[in-house]
Amino acid sequence: MSTAGTRRAAIALTLAGLLGLVALYWMVFFWVPTEVNQGVVQRIFYVHVPAAWTSFLAIGFAALASGMYLWLRDERLDRAAMCAIEGGLVFATLVLTTGPLWGKIAWGTYWTWEPRLTLTLLLWFIFLGYFMVRNATEDPEKGKRFAAVVAIVGALDIPFIHLSVIWFRSLHPEPVVARPDGPTLPGDMLITLLFGVLVFTTLFFGLFLFRYAVEGLRSESDLRARSAA
Amino acid sequence: MIEDEVVLEARGLRREYGSVIAVRGLDLAMAAGEFLTIFGPNGAGKSSLLSMLGGAMRPSAGTVRVRGQPLSFSDHDWQHRIGMMSHRGFLYGRLTAEENLRFYGSLFGLKDLDERVPARLARVGLESRARFEVRQLSHGMRQRLSLARALLHDPDLVLLDEPYTGLDPSAASVLRSVLGELRDGRRTVVMVTHNLREGLAMATRLAVQVAGEFAWEGLNAGVDRDAFERLYHDVVEGRA
Amino acid sequence: MTTYWKQVWVIIWKDLVLEIRSRERIASMAAFAVLAGVLFNFSIDTTTTRTQDVAAGLIWMTLVFGGLIGVGRTFQLEAEDGAFQGVLMSPAPKDAIFLAKTAANFVLLYAMSLLVLGVFAVFFGLEVGSNFPWVALVLGVGALGFVALGTLFAAVSTGTNMGETLLPVLLFPLLVPMVIYGVGTTTRLIAGRPFDEVEANVRMLGAFALAAVAAGAVLFRYVVED
Repeated sequence: MSTAGTRRAAIALTLAGLLGLVALYWMVFFWVPTEVNQGVVQRIFYVHVPAAWTSFLAIGFAALASGMYLWLRDERLDRAAMCAIEGGLVFATLVLTTGPLWGKIAWGTYWTWEPRLTLTLLLWFIFLGYFMVRNATEDPEKGKRFAAVVAIVGALDIPFIHLSVIWFRSLHPEPVVARPDGPTLPGDMLITLLFGVLVFTTLFFGLFLFRYAVEGLRSESDLRARSAA
Repeated sequence: MIEDEVVLEARGLRREYGSVIAVRGLDLAMAAGEFLTIFGPNGAGKSSLLSMLGGAMRPSAGTVRVRGQPLSFSDHDWQHRIGMMSHRGFLYGRLTAEENLRFYGSLFGLKDLDERVPARLARVGLESRARFEVRQLSHGMRQRLSLARALLHDPDLVLLDEPYTGLDPSAASVLRSVLGELRDGRRTVVMVTHNLREGLAMATRLAVQVAGEFAWEGLNAGVDRDAFERLYHDVVEGRA
Repeated sequence: MTTYWKQVWVIIWKDLVLEIRSRERIASMAAFAVLAGVLFNFSIDTTTTRTQDVAAGLIWMTLVFGGLIGVGRTFQLEAEDGAFQGVLMSPAPKDAIFLAKTAANFVLLYAMSLLVLGVFAVFFGLEVGSNFPWVALVLGVGALGFVALGTLFAAVSTGTNMGETLLPVLLFPLLVPMVIYGVGTTTRLIAGRPFDEVEANVRMLGAFALAAVAAGAVLFRYVVED
């Protein structure tokens, strides 16, 4: 995909995402009914959960791209992985800021070790590790390879982390048991949630493509600078 | 050059470290029995070149073939054909001389270590030091052991990175004699050195590497040492 | 195939011989195991807390931090001798090298973990009783997962200019399953529960360890190339 093509797709997706976001906020604030137990603050859920799912999407995507990068050594795959991880970091940060806000208001505690939040916290550190490793080598090619390994192992660990934290929670039940996202989620809420996931995914890919295009331009200019040298 | 016995073939070898280009588009072909000495100033990319020829470093671009086989990272045959002696030694300080050779011998899948190891130690004059830990050996002895290690599996292609650096006369003479044997045995050798005398004495071919490429290449047909020294300086300073 | 395992074995032999002769990691890991026990004694108020309740957690944390010391040095030591490149240039496949290094690290870490168990028995009167073989098994399985990931990422962090300080940042998030399953099952075993109760979770720990070894074996070559 040429840079111009990428930019066009990026604009299209981001615009669609932003429009979707407006629609989502309308739904969140005006349409979906208020949850009985927690009141108005529960509406953070419709931002919090899609953001979390998007960060998981990010690591999965990045791990796949990284695996292919190690196999094929195409710079574009590494670039894609990096942009995905960056996006993932942004969305994970969103989750980790909305989570405690929600928790404090709804249940009086900033942090609960509930599975989704815990997984996102660990994912945040895996994202951080990716960038730390990528930027800490003399030879940039080495950094890319190391980062790819971090992404792959991180993604592989996710199921283990998820299962183990769920088990941990079953052993140490917290006083507050909040399951607003169980299978018993009523229709309107489910629709809003799924729409939220769609919007955030679209936004993610829109932003990803922008970032990918910019990074492509940067590496091209680097290459030109080097051959001129 | 004897056409039918191409041992080493490198094409378009290139190595970058970020924005630094250490080796730029270098070609090299060597037949059995040839001995190439590469001279050059520091930073010319000689060690990087040697590492790529030895399969220790992946080139940024280009290919290397030893006896027709490309040095790919997934195969494990070509390693048997290459032996490298680096000034870093590749020796474990707390293993004895004997243990170091047995270790590498096992990695190379050699079966006759009970005979081979003492014989190779004797060849480099270290039979009395077989049971000494490497950290107790002098630099010259370590270099000799390093040479024995590089040649343990009888490789077709021998790569030497500054082997004469810091050697005492007896170690240097051992090195010289072993290298002579290699050449007579039609093994292929590429040596990087600053030692003009030794480099000229052994070589059938010469090259001067500057800024990542061979600025000068030629046969060593009775080249006069002083003349070559002048040529070397001319090339390095960009006059030739 | 037998050449492969011979290569693995000779690298394990080499690492262990070097370790025995230098005693560098053995000494610091052993000292750590004992000293951690000492500090724990001062950090827990035994009048309000039963050691039995927190022992499993403390044991595993000692394993993690002590293991970090040992594993972190794996490639540092190689770099000091400068010999690792010689091993990389040999016909030994990279996964064989990884398995060997992991196995050698496992020996060190497992020995340390048994020492920790002993330290806790002496310092805190911890009695494991009839469940000792099971506890030893769980420690072993957990240690395996730890050293597999630790060896892989030790190679990564040694290759950066941040060195070993990067290792905990990379490793700790990934170790959460090991800690959860390890501590969870060990607590129960120490409390005298039968092994059947924790078997499923020990299997999870085992799956984690195997996945770690497999991932490391496949990915190690990309870390050490060049």
